[in-house]
Amino acid sequence: MKNIIKVLTIWVLTFGMVGIAKAGILEEMQLRARVGYSIGGTAPIPLPETIRSIDSYALTPSFMAGVDAQLPLNQRWGISVGLHFENKAMDGDVTTKAYYMEVIKGDSKLTGLFTGHVNQKVTQWMFTVPVQATLQLGQKLSLRGGPYFSLLTSKEFSGIASDGYLRENNPTGAKILMGNKEGEWATYDFNDDMRTFQFGIGVGADWQVHKRIGLSADLNWGLTGIFPSDFKTVEQTLYPIYGTIGVFYRLK
Amino acid sequence: MNKYIIAFVLCCCITSCIKDEAQNNECDIESAWIEGAEFEKNFYQVTDMRKDNISSTETNISFLVRPLFLVPLSTQIPMHFKITPGATIEPANGSPQDFTKGPIIYTVTSEDGQWKRFYNVSIQESPLPMQKFSFENVETHEVGARNQMHIFYEMAPASEGGSETAQPKYCWASGNAGAAILKTDSKPEDLPTYQSPDGYVGNCACLNTQSTGAFGELFKKPIAAGNLFLGEFVIEHVTGDALRATQFGVPNPMEPVRITGWYKYKPGEQFTDKDMKVHTDRKDEGSIYAVYYRNQDAEGNKYMLDGHAVEYLDKLMDNPQVYKVARVASLPPTDTWTRWEMIFEGKDAPNDIVQAQGFNLALVFSSSKDGAQFEGAIGSTLYIDEVEVSYEK
Repeated sequence: MKNIIKVLTIWVLTFGMVGIAKAGILEEMQLRARVGYSIGGTAPIPLPETIRSIDSYALTPSFMAGVDAQLPLNQRWGISVGLHFENKAMDGDVTTKAYYMEVIKGDSKLTGLFTGHVNQKVTQWMFTVPVQATLQLGQKLSLRGGPYFSLLTSKEFSGIASDGYLRENNPTGAKILMGNKEGEWATYDFNDDMRTFQFGIGVGADWQVHKRIGLSADLNWGLTGIFPSDFKTVEQTLYPIYGTIGVFYRLK
Repeated sequence: MNKYIIAFVLCCCITSCIKDEAQNNECDIESAWIEGAEFEKNFYQVTDMRKDNISSTETNISFLVRPLFLVPLSTQIPMHFKITPGATIEPANGSPQDFTKGPIIYTVTSEDGQWKRFYNVSIQESPLPMQKFSFENVETHEVGARNQMHIFYEMAPASEGGSETAQPKYCWASGNAGAAILKTDSKPEDLPTYQSPDGYVGNCACLNTQSTGAFGELFKKPIAAGNLFLGEFVIEHVTGDALRATQFGVPNPMEPVRITGWYKYKPGEQFTDKDMKVHTDRKDEGSIYAVYYRNQDAEGNKYMLDGHAVEYLDKLMDNPQVYKVARVASLPPTDTWTRWEMIFEGKDAPNDIVQAQGFNLALVFSSSKDGAQFEGAIGSTLYIDEVEVSYEK
């Protein structure tokens, strides 16, 4: 993975420098204002066998707004750098079987294997800088691809474990039932343990429908887990993977 | 439209990643029973032939039978088990075994083969009536995250239970295992119920009311009263319907008349309720009471007195299962050993059923009277020693 990022970064920077070296390039720069709505998840890839089913997925306020500056380098290729403000949120229910989890409250903690229902909420408001190569295909369609870097400004990772039981420490440990109402279920939050910096790879397409207005679709695949690698409480590495549908307006 | 396509594609990506279900890794005995009309003669009641809802922390399963000199025990008794789906048990489920030589160790192996649990299964002569408790014997068990906890037991004299040597009798239970969920690396003295060397004679039982920390507040169970009782603690219910966790009573084939003992008591400073609200007008009190009750209900099912049943001690006699109740009226704070006495009141139990192990004796000590409602004062401490059950009118 790291090699791919290196190659892509070098590739983009090379194009970038070539571009800037060309005189008068700023004259040709396009500015696109974007808004979009994201849908996706923050999940271990692949899903561990301890997650048995995804039961529900609620839409969250995962909005995106931002501006991209796009420099054409030649007829077909260009480079685009942007600044977006966006939320990669999730609210989903899964059924687990012997899923390793740790619930920490103050100085007390409960560790074990949970079989039951987990409602997981993730909120990640962030500034994202996408650096992308662009490829123009005909008059209306262009494709984009490249790395993105995000700085989180607000983060939440919390959930509820209910309707099941936890075997303390290992499958032979004490069986602790979790009910279906407050006081009988366990809640957890690891907001403060989340990374504030993330990066990943994004690909997208812009389709100009009118003179200045167009539609866009993007897929952003996180390459960093949302927790630092030394954080062991959530056993699997969780990657944010989100698709965004949006509209853009050509400012320039 | 596009949004739905993306959502659809993502869902496909993710759901297609759901792996095949792993094999079960649990290995519990959930129920154990003896069946067959030819074995019924050994038991006082048919309900004694079954043990259901065996707690996940239980490792001893024992069946009580009539005196062996009256009804000899077959050396070929098939023992049946309900175990975790997919798990295997050795010796084989339902295979005839000879229980006359003592407990048989059964090994349950999980479906994935990675985990094992060992159970002592025994068929014993029903115990003699309870006489005296001095709290001299404890075993230290490790629970949860390296917590050490004391489990009190009595030594049954040789000949009791059909054994030739004195055998430990695990009749005492406490909420320690529940309080230990919330702790790490604790010593026996860090838990609510433990053995103290400062007894009236030798060692004694020390019960103290503790904070369960932030985690206990989360489950709206902010304190754990120190408790010690004849019966079983079923940990499964501790985070939910906690009053079901305490199952009071063990069979006692003689109707008790009075119970006496010694105590010291110091109430904690601040009385709090289950929301940790301080009540300056309330003072914590210790509690000692006993109940003699029929252990089978009108439908012939096994009956256990749980925390719900004793929620209002004044109304205990309204429970049709309950025959007699004894309570220590008050336990004034004292730091010197003080004698207490309680006398059973209620209706007489039918003697034939009493002798047939049809009645249980529940004897309960708690450092906070309303600890079951999670009301009390952190730091309340009750010491108990030299408890005697008397059968003379």
